[in-house]
Amino acid sequence: MPEIRVTPLGAGQDVGRSCILVSISGKNVMLDCGMHMGYNDDRRFPDFSYITQSGRLTDFLDCVIISHFHLDHCGALPYFSEMVGYDGPIYMTHPTQAICPILLEDYRKIAVDKKGEANFFTSQMIKDCMKKVVAVHLHQTVQVDDELEIKAYYAGHVLGAAMFQIKVGSESVVYTGDYNMTPDRHLGAAWIDKCRPNLLITESTYATTIRDSKRCRERDFLKKVHETVERGGKVLIPVFALGRAQELCILLETFWERMNLKVPIYFSTGLTEKANHYYKLFITWTNQKIRKTFVQRNMFEFKHIKAFDRAFADNPGPMVVFATPGMLHAGQSLQIFRKWAGNEKNMVIMPGYCVQGTVGHKILSGQRKLEMEGRQVLEVKMQVEYMSFSAHADAKGIMQLVGQAEPESVLLVHGEAKKMEFLRQKIEQEFRVSCYMPANGETVTLPTSPSIPVGISLGLLKREMVQGLLPEAKKPRLLHGTLIMKDSSFRLVSSEQALKELGLAEHQLRFTCRVHLQDTRKEQETALRVYSHLKNTLKDHCVQHLPDGSVTVESILIQAAAHSEDPGTKVLLVSWTYQDEELGSFLTALLKNGLPQAPS
Amino acid sequence: MDPECARLLPALCAVLADPRQLVADDTCLEKLLDWFKTVMETECSLHLLQDHPCLMELLSHVLKPQDISPRVLSFVLRLVGIFAAQEDCFQYLQQGELLLGLFGETGALSWAAWNMPSVRSGWIQGLCSLAQHPSALHFLADSGAVDTIFALQGDPSLFVASAASQLLVHILALAMQGGASGSSISEAAAWPVCAQKIVNHVEESLHSKATPQVTQALNVLTTTFGRCHSPWTGALWGRLSPPVACLFERDPIPAVHSLMDLLLSVARSPVLNFAACGLWEMLAQTLSRLSPTQAGPLALGTLKLQHCPQELRTQAFGVLLQPLACILKATTQAPGPPGLLEGTAGSSLTVDALLSSKSAFVGLLCQTLAHLEELQMLPQCPCPWPQVPLLEATVTILRLCDGSANPSSSVGGRLCGTLGGCVRVQRAALDFLGTLSQGTSPLELVLEVFSVLLKTLESPESSPTVLKKTFQATLRWLQNSHKIPNCSDLSPDALLFLGELFPILQKRLCSPCWEVRDSALEFLTHLIRHWGGQADFKEALHSSEVPTLACQLLQDPESYVRASAVGAAGQLSSRGLQATPTSPENPQAQQGLLMDFMHILSTDSEGFPRRAVLRVFTEWLRDGHADVIRDTEWFVATVLQAVSRDLDWEVRMQGLELAQVFLIQAMGRSSLHCPYTVGLPEATSPSPHPEFLQTLCRLPLFEFAFCALLDCDRPVAQKACDLLLFLRDKTTSCSGPQEAGDSPNSASVEAVLQRWREGEQGQPLGDLEPEAMLAILRSLDLEGLQGKLAKSSDHMEKSPQSLLQDMLATVGILEENEADCY
Repeated sequence: MPEIRVTPLGAGQDVGRSCILVSISGKNVMLDCGMHMGYNDDRRFPDFSYITQSGRLTDFLDCVIISHFHLDHCGALPYFSEMVGYDGPIYMTHPTQAICPILLEDYRKIAVDKKGEANFFTSQMIKDCMKKVVAVHLHQTVQVDDELEIKAYYAGHVLGAAMFQIKVGSESVVYTGDYNMTPDRHLGAAWIDKCRPNLLITESTYATTIRDSKRCRERDFLKKVHETVERGGKVLIPVFALGRAQELCILLETFWERMNLKVPIYFSTGLTEKANHYYKLFITWTNQKIRKTFVQRNMFEFKHIKAFDRAFADNPGPMVVFATPGMLHAGQSLQIFRKWAGNEKNMVIMPGYCVQGTVGHKILSGQRKLEMEGRQVLEVKMQVEYMSFSAHADAKGIMQLVGQAEPESVLLVHGEAKKMEFLRQKIEQEFRVSCYMPANGETVTLPTSPSIPVGISLGLLKREMVQGLLPEAKKPRLLHGTLIMKDSSFRLVSSEQALKELGLAEHQLRFTCRVHLQDTRKEQETALRVYSHLKNTLKDHCVQHLPDGSVTVESILIQAAAHSEDPGTKVLLVSWTYQDEELGSFLTALLKNGLPQAPS
Repeated sequence: MDPECARLLPALCAVLADPRQLVADDTCLEKLLDWFKTVMETECSLHLLQDHPCLMELLSHVLKPQDISPRVLSFVLRLVGIFAAQEDCFQYLQQGELLLGLFGETGALSWAAWNMPSVRSGWIQGLCSLAQHPSALHFLADSGAVDTIFALQGDPSLFVASAASQLLVHILALAMQGGASGSSISEAAAWPVCAQKIVNHVEESLHSKATPQVTQALNVLTTTFGRCHSPWTGALWGRLSPPVACLFERDPIPAVHSLMDLLLSVARSPVLNFAACGLWEMLAQTLSRLSPTQAGPLALGTLKLQHCPQELRTQAFGVLLQPLACILKATTQAPGPPGLLEGTAGSSLTVDALLSSKSAFVGLLCQTLAHLEELQMLPQCPCPWPQVPLLEATVTILRLCDGSANPSSSVGGRLCGTLGGCVRVQRAALDFLGTLSQGTSPLELVLEVFSVLLKTLESPESSPTVLKKTFQATLRWLQNSHKIPNCSDLSPDALLFLGELFPILQKRLCSPCWEVRDSALEFLTHLIRHWGGQADFKEALHSSEVPTLACQLLQDPESYVRASAVGAAGQLSSRGLQATPTSPENPQAQQGLLMDFMHILSTDSEGFPRRAVLRVFTEWLRDGHADVIRDTEWFVATVLQAVSRDLDWEVRMQGLELAQVFLIQAMGRSSLHCPYTVGLPEATSPSPHPEFLQTLCRLPLFEFAFCALLDCDRPVAQKACDLLLFLRDKTTSCSGPQEAGDSPNSASVEAVLQRWREGEQGQPLGDLEPEAMLAILRSLDLEGLQGKLAKSSDHMEKSPQSLLQDMLATVGILEENEADCY
């Protein structure tokens, strides 16, 4: 029985790191290869030893698909390909391929910087890993091998994020990765066609939430930044190299332009140029507004945002600085934070999630006295704000996507168990489909009944049409022909064509039956009586009496013979082809009832 | 336990026990367990429980029917296990009936949360931690836990099922460790109850008709023989090998992979007498019964065994060679030298059978090529190694893949159709081809290899991955193609090959794919590093446009490519192979490259090219590159100036590396000129060598190093600290008996350093005299700083106090920022 099997190694009832194994009709695909930022040891990577108990990974996995560049979706990739030893193809979109190594490099530098970790992937490994990537375009069907194909759909969320349809024969699975059903400042909304997959694997971060308009959050953000710089304070916005940073940059740039503000905005580590480059390169991935205005003005060429120099942090007066990394756990953002933390006029805005142990996490949980190295205590007097800018579909959006794709069943990942449970019930009630939510390590098995496509020969189709039966798309029809399986494809052809193609001689198969009749007359007379009886009974059929004494009705042949032991009994030999099986059976039954009395 | 942690613990336990409080994420609980484990490595668990009643309260709290979250339940189960690992604490917990309440049938098993895999996993891990002593064994036997573990072997969660199997092995080993000794080892009936129970269960499972159960039993045995090497394992195998042998009589053989793993695990055991236990026969029988795809891993495993009969090795090697032998047989046109496996007992495998399923055939070929590649690199590699037929087969496969094979038979044609354009096989074959370069091959075959490599490099169909692997294989063949031992010169054939290779390389350097341009540049760099000094190589290189193109790629839009181009251009220049040859009359061209590199260093927006430039510069400085020694001081000063403001800490660190190379060289030179350092007693050295120290101040190397010492990125500060320590140690021998602060200038320097420490960087140190520098150097506690920097920069945040504070601080505010991620 063909089946689809799904086992999350990560993102099963959690939001830590995504890594989902899918097996469709013997093809094995790994969806995302994420890393958990909350751990500093091996636990940060999924346990890949569960992928296969025997044999090499490269032989087992047919491909790896990465949905987008966030580290919880791609952070373990260089480890997996260069250290664990996967040597097969990795698929992702072009923007993801371009941006992924920047974030991986960013993370590597922090990991090595902070802990001097020797057993971590190197720059060369990141590059070698990226060379194994096959970049795909949206809506392009990519043939991984003869049987496995994949197709990317727009997912919103971040630049280059994609949902993937994975298809083997007639079976398919759609994996959404992270997606957003409402357009934001620089990206559009996710979209998928009515592809009716056997299974839709969807993220469920906001499974129970209906999110407020992003406009409100943006307004709040701008108000807070503006107020701070107005009173002469400095604003620090810790960000990761690419992604949310660009959205916030557009937001501030537009606001600065509109309000004609002169306060400097800086962006650290030369990322503005890089972002600019990629956003220009992948302008088709942004939203309609940005694409439309691109000719007059590129939204990513910032007038007000300048490159940051380390010395600027000591400059007097207000300023806004975007600095990496995003959780205030090392490097420049932490250094600036330490300088500015003591002044209540200043503000730090955390635009994203922070893992435990980081300074970002501490100040967000309200801690104001931080113990730093050397027993120094840093008193945080600056204002601390949290603004969630993560772009995930909310409950409404998830339901909308399920409705759009019309899957046969749904599987929830990337969310919390309690919330998933609520959404699961809602999906099952509303769409009348099964909904699963496996924990990490649990396998969901879905039996499928595959429909096998069969090509029909033109000759056979024409013959059907001659009989006046035009094909109708929605009405099943019975069609007789010969099924040929060749080169793993199926074709229905006429029996003549099949014989010709296969170089076979025709053999006719006849069904035969003996009917005993009580009749003392000669065989020829019995045959004549049979002829008359049938001629009278079967008015619509062509009944013939042949010179050799046998009787035919269509393809049915009836011969009379004497019984070897009983001269009062005649034996009727009835034979027919399978085409006339119905008539043959009818005749046999008719003859078994005996012949009418002959007129004396 | 740290007093601060002890102070925070009660509040934390209260939070954990309160079902209304949302506990921070799973990572916090994991880290908390890590901490408890560390604490209990040095402290007595019982005292810890008695000294901190809040812990006991938390543990007992779980026994009361309440709506505690599954993650806290799982945490408590694991925590109890850690405590109960020490026998006295185990007794204490058992007296309070806590253990039975948690791990017994009325405990976790009866909770609604039991259907959560995390709780079942916590239950297993808890038991695994506590199963360390005889009391634990009695508990396991009496509480019925072992039966639950049996059931959990078939758990829907892979993690739980695997952990259950591991736990069974752990318990078996523990039971046997103290339970059976001397003659009773061979008497299974005399084994401890727990061990008997497990072995009986495994035996029953082996007789089962259900494959999953057989698999579970086999997995337990595989782990047992892999981990336990005591004499009792011999008795175990003696008892269980008959039911294992019976599995081979079934059709189809159940759980083939697990069965193979078991046989190999048993064969690797150092305590078994294989001849007596019939293992070799079993292996031979298995090898002959399985399909080629199934038998491959077993054959490789068998060949890796230390003491394996030659006959079995031959059989195993035959299994590995079969697919390639078939291909060779199907494609060989004329009778030639004997192919693979010719003359050996016939194999039934034919290409027809192989070709019945394309994907299975491709899978088998890839697996075979990878196995052979692995085998060739091992000390157990079969001897004689059939180098020639293997090479022929690999070249044939590559030709079938790229479509250049000329099949004469219909089977050959079908092979062509199946493998044509198959990147998967091509990749595997190229990897193996590279490894085959280690053997000795006849010249005509080497030429054949070069020809197929050229064809692949040239083909427009070759994917970037295939090209990368082809470059790697080419390099290995070039390295191994020389005939004269201890001579790295290229053979004449290799040179001829290079003549054809460079035009292709030229084309690849212009590829629209950055991956290809980059691989081509990396390949070029390796070539020059190996053979750049050879006249013939130079000639072949210069007859192409490769050097010019490599330099043009310094402007590539892709930063990876720019970085590789820097490496290649640097190598070219080191060997005097740059695009425009330098001559004494025309030094500008060469100088141009130096300036290009300086430009990249100060303007490139990406870190990779800047880092690559510094690597090249350091190498140039070390090797005494002509442009560097022309004015070394200017060179070092310019580089350090550019590097000091770089935002990439790795660039700054490499700048320090360059500074160190300069220091070592300058000291070497200075010691030659300094009459005071060598041969004369120290007392007679009146002052440090002024010229050398002046240079350091002028560059300004001191300023760069002091600045780096306060760098926000730890590795930079660490490197600067090492550099200054080195400098201090070296200058001590040159310096006089001055004390810190003697110099009139040092007070101002100290003041600047103080300001820096407070965070006002960017202020120059100003013109400083060498004496002042030396004084500061001596006054700094560099050793102390080195010790501090050796700790990770987040050691404070990673501390248990920080963890407990964070967990407590998060209570109540989780709802606000809930479920946010990227």
